[in-house]
Amino acid sequence: MIESLFNQTNHVAAKQLLDITVLRHEAIAGNLANLETPNYKRLDVSGEFEKQLQDSIGTGNVRRLKGMQPQISVDETAVASRRDGNTVDLEKELVHLNRNGVEHAVETQLITGGLLKLRLAITGRAG
Amino acid sequence: MINALSGVDSAAMAMTAERMRMDVVSQNIANAHVTRGVDGTPYRRQQVVFESFLKEASQGKGGAETPLGVRVARIDQDQRPPRMVYNPAHPDANPATGMVGMPNVDMHSEMVDMITSSRAFEANLMVVKTARTLAMQTLGIGKR
Repeated sequence: MIESLFNQTNHVAAKQLLDITVLRHEAIAGNLANLETPNYKRLDVSGEFEKQLQDSIGTGNVRRLKGMQPQISVDETAVASRRDGNTVDLEKELVHLNRNGVEHAVETQLITGGLLKLRLAITGRAG
Repeated sequence: MINALSGVDSAAMAMTAERMRMDVVSQNIANAHVTRGVDGTPYRRQQVVFESFLKEASQGKGGAETPLGVRVARIDQDQRPPRMVYNPAHPDANPATGMVGMPNVDMHSEMVDMITSSRAFEANLMVVKTARTLAMQTLGIGKR
């Protein structure tokens, strides 16, 4: 009964997105830690996963959406701008870090908004 | 244990490594004029080499990459020859030629190293800050 409330596509998708953001934060932390390591290749959440997630949201397949496991992989699009073969760019990485933080804020707001509406529907008063 | 602050351990390791680099830079600057090191020869510049390593065995995520930590692999000696300076009055001067071997420390590159190190430290500090913000936001889910 109550499960169906938490099985809406939006809710599940927001949860998955939140997982991605936290995982991406870990990847960025690793990248910034290895800023000076020769031959280090930057990691990120695989772009393929995001594509699959979009597909799942588009088709509204909640079961598939729930079973998805975000993964970190080597970012093949990053090119080394330095001679030591390291593909981490400090400025870009900091921008990613900040954008990731804002995305996280948006996603938590999304979930909170849904939960607050649910509470409003149950109690009849906001808050 | 619940990992509430994700990514903070990588940042902590990096900050430790950067601090080590800063220590080595300060050692180089301090010894920039030492003509008689522990082995009797001019001091040679030291430099740190970083390496990344797996923090823990892949947590069964199906062959996916996991974020790597960083540590100081070793501290190497700069193999460039000592800088020769003509100074016959110096006690360590070669009696025949009057040349003194000065350490191969270049003050400018040490300064650049120091600033790079401190910037990298700041970047990692930013990661910790952001991790904290993320955690606080997550804890705030359901509150208005």
